[in-house]
Amino acid sequence: MNEDDLALRNLTYARFAQIGRAPTAAEIADASGRDQAEVAAGWERLHAEHALVLDPATGGIRMANPFSAVPTPFRVHAAGRWWYANCAWDAFGICAALHEDGQIQASCPDCAEPLRISVQDELPHDPSLRFHCLVPAARWWDDIVFT
Amino acid sequence: MHLFRSGEHIQRWLAGREPGATIPVTTLSELAHAWWGDRLSPDWRPHTQDHNQAILNRLGLTGAFWRLSHDRGSLPPEYRG
Repeated sequence: MNEDDLALRNLTYARFAQIGRAPTAAEIADASGRDQAEVAAGWERLHAEHALVLDPATGGIRMANPFSAVPTPFRVHAAGRWWYANCAWDAFGICAALHEDGQIQASCPDCAEPLRISVQDELPHDPSLRFHCLVPAARWWDDIVFT
Repeated sequence: MHLFRSGEHIQRWLAGREPGATIPVTTLSELAHAWWGDRLSPDWRPHTQDHNQAILNRLGLTGAFWRLSHDRGSLPPEYRG
């Protein structure tokens, strides 16, 4: 990853955290002094390097891991806002990235029981829950949306 | 990557499918904080594969399932895809 792309990535993430949603290429172009095509091309390179995930249909941001740009079953309240996470791991990751305590909302895929997890000082209040990862680590990026 | 109420719920959900890996939610939280804690740092740089593997190892997440290697020939057949 070259320094320009690294700066673009860090600006994109910073803006996501600032506005609470995925920024558009136009917004990042305005903020960075690049033109929109340069931002889109940079995002493509970052996507190829797994530094973010683009929506293939729109070229917009789909994931700035651990944040999701689209609604998911994993919601997190932290730093005064609601966020969407890509998965249960990322839900804790949002608290981690923001360096904040938080409240995670999800549901058990087996019984659909709502799960409400408080995260305080990096610890979940209910240690009885279990996390299951179906896809082995070497294949996480084969289909990151499924993973 | 889901959270379940218990191991029993995971078994029922799998319904005979090959299981992946199950860890306590406390380990998941530790993992998430080690993995994602620097994502909004203005000085962020990509983690190397060795760095991420060390995070997994430190939490006891070892073995073929947790190996990040892109050298799939080194993995058991069921993990090569």
